[in-house]
Amino acid sequence: MEHHLLEIGGVRMSRREDLRLITGAGKYASDWNLPGQLHATFLRADRAHANIVSVNTEAAEKHPGVVRVFTGEDAMRSGYTKPMTMLTFKGRGGMEVLRPERPVLAHGKVRCVGEPVAMVVAESALIAQDAAELIEVEYEELPVVIDPEAALAPGAPQLHDNVPGNVPFDFEAGDAGATEAAFAKAAHVTRLKLAVTRVAPNPMEPRACLVAYDAGTDMYTVHVHVQGVNMMRKQLAAYTGLPEEKFRIMAHDVGGAFGQRSLAYPEYCMQLLAAKQLGRPVKWIATRSEGFMTDSHGRANYVSGELALDKDGKFLGARLDWIADMGAYLTPTGPVSHLRNPSTCLTGVYRIPALYGRWRTVLTNTNPIAAYRGAGRPDVAYVIERLVSQAAADLKMDAAEIRRRNFIPPEAFPYKTPTGSTYENADLPGVLEKALKLADWNGFANRRRQSEKAGKLRGIGIATVIENTGAGLFPRDEVQIEVAAGGTVTAYTVSHSQGQGHETSFAMIVAETLGIAFERVQLRQGDEDHPLFGNHTGGSRSTVGAGSACHLAARKLIEEGRALAALELDAEPSQVEYANGSFRGGESKRTITLADLAKSRVFSVTAQGSFSSTFPNGCHIAEVEIDPDTGVTEIASYVTVDDCGRVINHTIVEGQMHGGVAQGAGQVFGEHVVYDRDSGQLMTGSFADYYMPRAGLVREITMEEHPTPSKVSPLGVKGMGESGCTASLPALTNAVLDALRPLGVQHLDMPLTPAKVWHAIQAARTKQ
Amino acid sequence: MYPFSYVKAKSLKEAGEFLAAHPDAKLLAGGMTLIPTLKARLAQPSHLVDIGGLAELAGIKEGAGKLLIAGGTRHHEVATSDAVKKAIPALAYLANLIGDPQVRNRGTIGGSVANNDPAADYPAAVLGLGATVVTTRREIAAEDFFQGMFTTALAPGEIVVRLVFPVAKRAAYAKFPHPASGYAMAGVFVAETATGVRVAVTGAAPGVFRWKEAEAALGRNFNPAALAGLAVNADELNEDIHATREYRANLVAVMARRAVAQITGK
Amino acid sequence: MAKVEITVNGVKHSRDVEDRVLLANFLREDLGLTGTHIGCDTSQCGCCTVHVDGLAVKSCTMLAVQANGANVVTIEGMAKNGALHPIQQAFTECHGLQCGFCTPGMIMAVAGLLKYNPNPTDEQICHGLEGNLCRCTGYINIVKAVKRSAELMSGKK
Repeated sequence: MEHHLLEIGGVRMSRREDLRLITGAGKYASDWNLPGQLHATFLRADRAHANIVSVNTEAAEKHPGVVRVFTGEDAMRSGYTKPMTMLTFKGRGGMEVLRPERPVLAHGKVRCVGEPVAMVVAESALIAQDAAELIEVEYEELPVVIDPEAALAPGAPQLHDNVPGNVPFDFEAGDAGATEAAFAKAAHVTRLKLAVTRVAPNPMEPRACLVAYDAGTDMYTVHVHVQGVNMMRKQLAAYTGLPEEKFRIMAHDVGGAFGQRSLAYPEYCMQLLAAKQLGRPVKWIATRSEGFMTDSHGRANYVSGELALDKDGKFLGARLDWIADMGAYLTPTGPVSHLRNPSTCLTGVYRIPALYGRWRTVLTNTNPIAAYRGAGRPDVAYVIERLVSQAAADLKMDAAEIRRRNFIPPEAFPYKTPTGSTYENADLPGVLEKALKLADWNGFANRRRQSEKAGKLRGIGIATVIENTGAGLFPRDEVQIEVAAGGTVTAYTVSHSQGQGHETSFAMIVAETLGIAFERVQLRQGDEDHPLFGNHTGGSRSTVGAGSACHLAARKLIEEGRALAALELDAEPSQVEYANGSFRGGESKRTITLADLAKSRVFSVTAQGSFSSTFPNGCHIAEVEIDPDTGVTEIASYVTVDDCGRVINHTIVEGQMHGGVAQGAGQVFGEHVVYDRDSGQLMTGSFADYYMPRAGLVREITMEEHPTPSKVSPLGVKGMGESGCTASLPALTNAVLDALRPLGVQHLDMPLTPAKVWHAIQAARTKQ
Repeated sequence: MYPFSYVKAKSLKEAGEFLAAHPDAKLLAGGMTLIPTLKARLAQPSHLVDIGGLAELAGIKEGAGKLLIAGGTRHHEVATSDAVKKAIPALAYLANLIGDPQVRNRGTIGGSVANNDPAADYPAAVLGLGATVVTTRREIAAEDFFQGMFTTALAPGEIVVRLVFPVAKRAAYAKFPHPASGYAMAGVFVAETATGVRVAVTGAAPGVFRWKEAEAALGRNFNPAALAGLAVNADELNEDIHATREYRANLVAVMARRAVAQITGK
Repeated sequence: MAKVEITVNGVKHSRDVEDRVLLANFLREDLGLTGTHIGCDTSQCGCCTVHVDGLAVKSCTMLAVQANGANVVTIEGMAKNGALHPIQQAFTECHGLQCGFCTPGMIMAVAGLLKYNPNPTDEQICHGLEGNLCRCTGYINIVKAVKRSAELMSGKK
């Protein structure tokens, strides 16, 4: 893939945003300070399920330097008790979501370890931390339930009075009857019970927030990391009941997000309350330990999957029963992403005539779940692709051939799936064949023999995946473009980069559309002086949404400019030509530049676009080598062929793929949030216990593109921020299982740690 | 961190006297274990007595079949020291596996040995080579020094001044790092010394220990094959979410084989 | 409280600090050098890496008073006279950063690595980056950036 280098101010750079980030001049949430600011710290529940008998703050309040200690009583008085929900559709049998209350400081009960119980506000963070230790909380312990299957059982501990059976929402998609009929005539049924494990997103920047309240205007200024200012504002307003226009959200650089930073957390709401009541700005910086406990976790789906096939390996039907662990409370994005995205892509890349899925969301005494890179897409891809590879093994078919035989053929697009979504376009056989060639699929047997000679087990794994992107929470995406008299063109977006490089790729789109130099275009994200309607960055949709809106705005700028230029040129607009930043026309053949038009007036346009779903897709092939003595797996090669539509910036696309695959590899080989089953204590509360991918885990990725056109956006782009994660979970797991199958190992759940793989090998050898 | 008072010691004597007079004071050398412990509010010392940079605790010397490494020597210095590489290359190799580069740039051998983390690397070398721990008060043999998890023979106020390693005929260290922390999940130090073969194991059990069966087998036949069929008792090993006792027992055997193979080349 | 005198990026600073203040917080809060980031509280992530007397260290695992009299270099001190340090140059050229939060610590760690090993192998690079976590890049382009840094520092363009 070509590496695109820019020349900015005489420096060779991949991205425009790099200069400040490599020199330490980036401005992240914790870098903000305001005169007179106070510092907050939170006392957190040290048990997973308990009644709060009393909270004694007396000693803490007296500690020198402490300004105020807040408790659940303050939270209840404020009425900040109900976070936003995005579950606006009905569930199974017309069920409406049962929304548990989540006071911004626990009141009456704590339901997971780490839940904030009190907030100390003091003159310094150290003082606040010292004082927090002086708070005495008396608890009455309650039985704990960590496992969502156990939470469904009769007699299980109940978390919320208004959620009987711990199921706040039950959802289904597809046709249960038709699916049952399909299974009845199956020659073979492949069944797997799979855990799409709970993981910690862990953006490298810990959470931080600084809130200032201005009594004169009754406005809150919130310095916080976002994926888009509108999403944060909407949630803060929903949680607090305050009008959206009372919030001024200030965010610059965001140190990674992966879905986790789209939430308005309870701590931020408490800071709103404190800043107003105390009349001084309140700053809070989380530690990583707090992050492990309270930054939303991801995935945590437990799925029983069945795939019915005829004797030739053609799929007849599939049935998936999902238990979606939501943690102790519902986040705005958790339930919706865990239901909507898997149900949209339930059929995978295959023609499966009969399909049925049921999702039970379940509350447990664990930290709440929210969207995490892929948000349900990797989950469903993992389940389908594991089933398909297992079916191939069951039927002794080649794992590529079974896919080939069941793909939705190119001529069937747009394809209406049995769960009601319409796949726009794909060339699945083309993607597959390219990947097989790149991975030398046919040469694998030889390589396996070589590995055997060295005492190693080699496996190859394949995943062909598709995912929905494009459609967003907000029905439209707006972009404003303003031309300055000096000639600089500034585009404003809601969509906010957390590392994706919008400042580069969106500026490229504007520059290309206007036919002007990249250097003349700059991007501002989430600028509160230019409020716009539209979506945050998430769900791989930014280039489809905001990127396309940049293009539309640039085209609108040309059209409005043409009309203005026509007046000055004394010509009909249709007689005025535009090229490379200049209008020309009329008898004088005079040239008027975009900058000229901005000299006597504000020259600015706002354009909006509404984008439906588009479906990036791809094939990943992983080859692994396992050391049977230690159970250590090495990734020997990794190949990707992706159809993400037209590529704006190859370097950025490549970087997104690297990161996504590594995050997937992390989950496959080691990442796992573990709670003690009895006590509900978090066992993986730091980087010393929670595995993180390090340099060397994924050494190289061989990438090719295989674009098919998309009409959803005028740019023909499809999005690709999450596909690396989506495809790598099944590709890598399938590869490990392929290596172990000859020994008789049929199934393992992630994480495939050295210990787990070694034990599987031992158990298989003992059986043989 | 709880509040404490920081004291910069000008000499070992001064540090020792200060510790004797202040029972809740703690020594600070590299701080690679102590500072994270303080940050987690798991300790509340009244004072930190900083012995970092004391000239008395600096230097690596070799002679008369012995390698002397002063207590204040940082892991990075051990890993890159020509004297260490020449006398006991396995020790330099081991030092280069401790923590990460930033930790090796600050952590000290004296601090590591005095802390006796059951998953630390140095204790394997100290025990495996039969080193002597020289303190401000006495000389302690490795066997007597390590007394189980985070426990040593050091008395309050006693400070590790230097480690004296007998130069082994040949030695090697094989480590299987913990997937998250990088500490040893099992680390095995094998040495052929003047008094016989020694095999020391760290990371797997609550404390560093000698694997006597392996020593005997290797004493008869210094070859990886000699270890075939030998196993440590899994019941005595650690278990956590990352590894079972059985897996750790396996790692001990595999790492022992690999350490021997490093030496014999097969 | 202790009085410290610390030279940071060539400038001598005298301050009174509480004994328990970490060097990372001293740099960020007392000196306003927010390029040094804090990504964890257990000394694993390496975001806070700076150089103290020429050695890469985690400034979150060192007290400010321990740096009394020392010479500290932070990410803000790497570019000289408006010219990027070759490692900074290599990181942007190779797209070795995305969100940028780990990047200052990563660059300082790489500077530490290349000082002792100006031409490292892939294996040595991975070993040298064990103290630094990145969540965005998958490290592939970071490893490339280290190799490119080595080239640039040896004068290759």
